[in-house]
Amino acid sequence: MKLFIQLTITGLALGSIYSLIAMGYSLIYKASGLMTFVQGDILTIGAFLGLTFYRFLGLPYIVSVILTMLIAFLIGFLLEKGVIRRLLNRNVMAIYIVLATIAVSYIFQNGAQAIWSSKVEYFPSVFGTDSVTVLGVSVQPESLLCVGASLICMILLHFFMTRTRVGTSMRAAAMDPMAAESCGINVSLNTGLTWGIASGIAAIGGIFIGPMYGVYVTLGSKLGTKGFAGAVMGGYGNMYGAMVGGLVLGLVETLVAGYISSDFKNLFAYIILILFLFVKPTGIFNETAVNDV
Amino acid sequence: MLKTDGVTIRFGGLVAVNKVSIHVRKGQITGLIGPNGAGKTTFFNCISGVYKPSEGHVIFDGKEIEGMRPHKINEIGMARTYQVINLFRKMTVQENIMVGMHTRLKSNFWSDMLRLPKQRREEKFVREETEKWMEFVGLQDMADQQAGSLSYGKQRLLEIVRGLASDPKLLLLDEPVAGMNSKEKEEFDALLRRILDLDVTILMIEHDMKLVMGVCDYVYCLEHGTLLAQGVPEEVQNNPDVIAAYLGGDE
Amino acid sequence: MNNLIKSKKLLGCLIAIVIAFLVPTFLGGASYLCLIACFVTIYVIGASGLDVLFGYSGQISMGHAAFYAIGGYGAGLLNKYLGIPMILAMILAAAIAALIGALLAFPASKLKFHFLSLATIAFGEIVYQIVCHSPNRITGDFNGFFSSKLDIFGLKLDTNVKFYYFGVICVILFLVIKQMIVKSGTGRAFVAIRENTQAAEGMGVNVRKYKIIAFAVSAFFVAFAGAMYLGLVGYLHPDMYLQKQSVLFVTMMLFGGSASLAGPIIGAVSIEVLLEGLRTFEEYQMLMYGVLLLIVIIAMPGGIVGAGRDIKSRFLRRKALKQAGKEGQ
Repeated sequence: MKLFIQLTITGLALGSIYSLIAMGYSLIYKASGLMTFVQGDILTIGAFLGLTFYRFLGLPYIVSVILTMLIAFLIGFLLEKGVIRRLLNRNVMAIYIVLATIAVSYIFQNGAQAIWSSKVEYFPSVFGTDSVTVLGVSVQPESLLCVGASLICMILLHFFMTRTRVGTSMRAAAMDPMAAESCGINVSLNTGLTWGIASGIAAIGGIFIGPMYGVYVTLGSKLGTKGFAGAVMGGYGNMYGAMVGGLVLGLVETLVAGYISSDFKNLFAYIILILFLFVKPTGIFNETAVNDV
Repeated sequence: MLKTDGVTIRFGGLVAVNKVSIHVRKGQITGLIGPNGAGKTTFFNCISGVYKPSEGHVIFDGKEIEGMRPHKINEIGMARTYQVINLFRKMTVQENIMVGMHTRLKSNFWSDMLRLPKQRREEKFVREETEKWMEFVGLQDMADQQAGSLSYGKQRLLEIVRGLASDPKLLLLDEPVAGMNSKEKEEFDALLRRILDLDVTILMIEHDMKLVMGVCDYVYCLEHGTLLAQGVPEEVQNNPDVIAAYLGGDE
Repeated sequence: MNNLIKSKKLLGCLIAIVIAFLVPTFLGGASYLCLIACFVTIYVIGASGLDVLFGYSGQISMGHAAFYAIGGYGAGLLNKYLGIPMILAMILAAAIAALIGALLAFPASKLKFHFLSLATIAFGEIVYQIVCHSPNRITGDFNGFFSSKLDIFGLKLDTNVKFYYFGVICVILFLVIKQMIVKSGTGRAFVAIRENTQAAEGMGVNVRKYKIIAFAVSAFFVAFAGAMYLGLVGYLHPDMYLQKQSVLFVTMMLFGGSASLAGPIIGAVSIEVLLEGLRTFEEYQMLMYGVLLLIVIIAMPGGIVGAGRDIKSRFLRRKALKQAGKEGQ
């Protein structure tokens, strides 16, 4: 039982990171019908930025988080404006956009290596203690922070998308670009904002996961690929589905690693992904916006 | 030739086509008219296998074909054109027609890869056939042009011969003269007659009333997914329901 | 006119073949440079295989490293444990890969671009995981897999130059096969599916069947390339089959221009040479690669062949305009 609780908490912590990445995928897919391969590496950049602000510059944790998020937001926004929009305007084949995001991910990953290092950097503890006791098992406090803060992010994002003017116009722009344009909504700006937000939440994921896994250059790329499994499971394009899908994926993966063998955890994640694509590509919540089936 | 028996198509709760029964007789041109959104193209898609009817039967040449895949239906002798032109845009005119002949070819992947004599003979036959078809609609000078670069009217003609190349018994035409210029439209009557001479029966959706009244042997009128009227063109033209539907509709 | 173009093209191919055979002479037999030339032959086959899939039938795969792995490990295992002669093992492994490709394509044929790329990524990762944690460690897991170098019934290809000639012969064979397939009814069905799936189906093309054929053919090509790699190097490591290997194939195919004979050749040569050239930047190699890749995508989508066509048509148009201008005067 103790093992189970332990694994569940670790699984939820990992799952909430998948959720953050998957939400980014879904937001972008809904807003522009595109798939991005940069999310994972933006998470890496986020982790390194957080590390820089918090450990190297000694800024307060919360300030580091906010600064990282703002920079990542800017990166995402500029990426859309500078690369994606430019390619879309020239009506290139979709494969070139995918390849462009992969090229950017190479740049981020290897850029991070050039700026920081190829070593595994340790992310200092956020709290005073190394472990707290929950339900009789001791866990790393950061994993609780990870779950909690991710949930808060998701809730904030939900309110932002449904209750604010910007959020509503973003949803409108994603749903029907032509109609939104004729209502005076700047669709191009809104797509840019969506990419910005998607990067912002991925970068936060990097800060949260840093204390648990350490920070290194390929941290995000693996998480990024698996994040797809979460997004597909929840229904690609469905923000809430992505949250659920990510959490489920994290749990399954951790339980498989705990009870069967850690050799199989990645295998399981990808088998889940491929099975969902073949059997139920619209995901658990039967997302109707999926147009790649 | 073709019969539908109480065909109904539902999308979720929406009934797009409601218990439509028609009969297309061999060697005739049958017209299908009706205001926009009446369900004509949906009905066509159902006949040609894109959708499976929720209820009812489609009988083609004595066989029930509902639920058959479109490529199978093409194979047993039904070809079609599309309302929105669906050419292979980056292929040449000739290649488009060659694809149309696909079901008539006996060579398969292995004979293609090994260039067996059988395959070579067949390719030669395909070239000769396609040249014949290009002449049939006057596209012989554009054989090597990309289909996407043709004028709208020429694209319609190409779509028709691409369908004819499969040597069909029945040809479904979905608004064939939309986008044609007036000269092309005038010549279209004659083209339809020449298609009939090839022993091909025609079922056609068309908005151009002059054309419909001029060439069709029998006309069905569809509104809101149900059959409103049927008969020879004059009957349908003078049917008060049809007139009301057209005046009240968005035509 | 048609025959003239045909004979011109044939002449071009002959010249290319002659040049290809002379490459070791140009390189002065330098072993390292010849090794790179050998890799190029492998990549030409791989990129051409992917071209059958993407360029012609319009299906994307971001997981072809999986077939590359199946070819390499498959040939090695068949040779090591069943004692099948290496060259036969290579062909057999490629055939097995084709079968696996067909099985994968059966459900994957209904997926469109983005989801198909995800499915192939997942497939690639699954194969990678199996190679890393294989049953009974038959693949050697992270220690890598060792095998003897290629010898064809006693003819030992023990130098890079010898292997290179073998590679060129394979390239010629595979490219002939590719052209036979794409310039035929089967190839027309592929292109029809790429251009307009709905209309292709309406014209009697069994879309699923042809999508599966395209997948199997491309799997065969890439797997054979993977087996050649084993024959050349004699050693495999799981990390050769990461997703970036799949991306490399896609990049090579697109860089030269897809749906063409020359495209994948140009792509494989230029990307391989580029990557080797960037080695001088040491740890910045991949960074530079990413930057260059991005610039190329933004500057000339359509690849080198596409850019060439653009320039040609622009030139012709200008010439036509001049002509018209002269006639006007």
